[in-house]
Amino acid sequence: MKRWRQLNLEGRAGCVLLVALVLMALLAPLIAPGDPLAITGEPMLRPFSSEAHMLGTDRLGRDVLAGLLHGTRTTLLVALFSAAVALSAGSIVGTLAGFLGGIADMVLMRITEAFQTVPAFLLALAAISATGPSVPTLIFAISLGTWTQAARVTRAQVLSLRERDFVAAARTLGMRPLEIAFREILPNAFGPTASLAAISVAAAILIEAALSFLGFGDPNRVTWGSMIAEGRTVLRSAPYLSIVPGIALVVTVLGIHLLGRGLSHRERLQP
Amino acid sequence: MSRILLNRRSFLATTASAGAMVILPNRAGALAAAPVKGGRLVVAGDSEPANLNPAIVASNGVFFVASKVIEPLAEQSYEGSDGLAPRLAISWEGSADGHTATFKLRDGVTWHDGKPFTSADVAFSALEVWRKLQNLGRVVFKNLESVETPDDHTAVFKFSQPTPFQLIRNALPVVTSVLPKHLYEGTDIAKNPANQKLVGTGPFKFGEYKPGEYYLLKRNDAYWQKDAPLLDEIVYQILPDRAAAGNALEAGEIQLAAFSAVPLADLERISKVPGLKVYPNGYEALTYQLIVEINHRRKELADVRVRRALAHSIDHAFVVKTIFLGYAKSATGPIPAYDKTFYEPDTATYAFDPAKAEALLDEAGYKRGADGNRFTLKLRPAPFFNETKQFGDYLRQALAKIGIDARVVSNDTPAHLKAVYTDHDFDITVATPVYRSDPAISTTILFESGLPAGVPFSNQYGYANAEVDRLIKDAASEIDAAKRADLYKELQRKVADDLPLINVAEFSFISVAHDSVQNVSNNPRWAVSNWADVWLRE
Repeated sequence: MKRWRQLNLEGRAGCVLLVALVLMALLAPLIAPGDPLAITGEPMLRPFSSEAHMLGTDRLGRDVLAGLLHGTRTTLLVALFSAAVALSAGSIVGTLAGFLGGIADMVLMRITEAFQTVPAFLLALAAISATGPSVPTLIFAISLGTWTQAARVTRAQVLSLRERDFVAAARTLGMRPLEIAFREILPNAFGPTASLAAISVAAAILIEAALSFLGFGDPNRVTWGSMIAEGRTVLRSAPYLSIVPGIALVVTVLGIHLLGRGLSHRERLQP
Repeated sequence: MSRILLNRRSFLATTASAGAMVILPNRAGALAAAPVKGGRLVVAGDSEPANLNPAIVASNGVFFVASKVIEPLAEQSYEGSDGLAPRLAISWEGSADGHTATFKLRDGVTWHDGKPFTSADVAFSALEVWRKLQNLGRVVFKNLESVETPDDHTAVFKFSQPTPFQLIRNALPVVTSVLPKHLYEGTDIAKNPANQKLVGTGPFKFGEYKPGEYYLLKRNDAYWQKDAPLLDEIVYQILPDRAAAGNALEAGEIQLAAFSAVPLADLERISKVPGLKVYPNGYEALTYQLIVEINHRRKELADVRVRRALAHSIDHAFVVKTIFLGYAKSATGPIPAYDKTFYEPDTATYAFDPAKAEALLDEAGYKRGADGNRFTLKLRPAPFFNETKQFGDYLRQALAKIGIDARVVSNDTPAHLKAVYTDHDFDITVATPVYRSDPAISTTILFESGLPAGVPFSNQYGYANAEVDRLIKDAASEIDAAKRADLYKELQRKVADDLPLINVAEFSFISVAHDSVQNVSNNPRWAVSNWADVWLRE
């Protein structure tokens, strides 16, 4: 509760939105049991016109609400994991580069820059078209373009930390260099990197949706992006099919953004 | 809007027809719908083929533009005998032994560059282009030995092996686009600049091509048919986004969207827009078949009872009504019902009956496991159409109902073609072969065994049936039309029983046009015919 009180209004709003989303994801099998891709009703029912299908049905007669709820699972799964992969990969590379310095730093940073010159979305698109779409490959493809930021931030942190006294102390204690890098420096450098998490998750959600929209999502799972893509063909006659998952997407990214802002605000307030 | 863009020639043409109306006021009043000359037709174009030469690439994307410039010997027709209307040939005849085919050619035809059209052009096109370079011509003219030209307007095709004239006749509209010999002779035909800047005998001359923007065709004033063409210009406005075509029609930026450029789901709304008309016909000769391809290398699928179970699990009525919104027909076999010559209605059919499907699977020894599944299949829906993807989603659900867990694997077109037709990395697929008026150039390739890996849209299913192979081989050299049709009918009965693949539906395309556009969809290949009689009502 202490933390909640420290959060400002923005942060609280974001927190509420995200908790609601996580609840949606967790409760999806209870609210909408069975395969969300099953054909359960008349095609193209409008929202609120049938009790069995609160948000209507799509062109094949699949329930939009079930798709939305189960889509939350896919979206959050892919987003959280790819952000985690991106942050860990980025901080490892950044720590190594910053701590080792010299040629290792040169090589690692040039590689990072090479990745940075290509837009993250293009990298993801290329990776997916080479590997074929499934959840693990999606996570890999998205993190491929998003780890670089974490690497650069971590490296900057490490560069300033490695000259500090506690590192010198660790060295005189006889700790091995890699031990110093990952047990002493990285934990201290991780704070600013972690605040990138919100941006990473939001970026991952948008990339995942865009990939699914282009037909590069896992076809055996519902995702918001694929729902929007399917709805697009009937955009003029049944706009709700694109609008409903679109709103979900906006709310999610907004929630993460608000929470991120709230957290960084709190950081600044702390002594 | 086309009025604003009037060029000088169309200005003269409209003033000339206005003058004609002054002279014959009664006639103009009596025939309110008499064709008017002039005007520009703006059409939604969707693809920009790398090679626009229809004699080399006999595909619809090429024909859509090129058929107005380069003409075949004959065109499909709703009324004509044998379903054909003459174009560059005025009559055709096959010999009884199947070794010769004689074409009488039209007199007084000139190429767009002014040179006369003669039998030498036909002989050159047949021997050097159709037989050697064209995707379909290689099959039809496989045994073509020589083409004799006794005079300028007669071409006699000589075949080393008996070749059914029925096949040649059915293939005429698709495989016989005639090229000008004087521009192609002695050059590298595949790289000739005239493959982009087409020169033909058709009602329209090739005007201009701006990549990513438009193709422009201009009226051929020296066209052989009197009072044709009626339009001054045709513009193919490139609109790669499917959703854009409907909006562009409504906004009046284009007057015609063919090849279902307007998505099926939008048609109901579009049909209510005043001034727009939906044409579901005019594509009969371009019938697509929605099929489920089956990999017979899978032990479960090699069992005919399992294949029949798959067929019983598919609700054709749902597919037609929900996926194709009524713009399709349920299929009974590998030849579409519209082809009266070859279609065999009396075959084994598989009604929608999940209970029977489950019984068949139980009988075959594939009982439901603890998780309710009998076995897992890899399903690859072709990415060609929205409908193939939707049918893939539907099929997965239909199979889940009978205890088969189908995992959808989706890819882009090149990856899909490679996975299915080269690597055989599939269990079932959703595919859309095209029926082209004769089984020998569309159907048999899906059933005959011994084809090399890598041939797209062919039997890469590991299916081999000696009886089926014999029927196909016999029909290929049967020169008696009735006997040949009987062989294909027997083939249909055979494959309906053995079910190497499942025919689900037949579908085609829809055109949407402004009601000012006249003579739309008046032949079975309308979108890829020459449009000489199309005109714009004021």
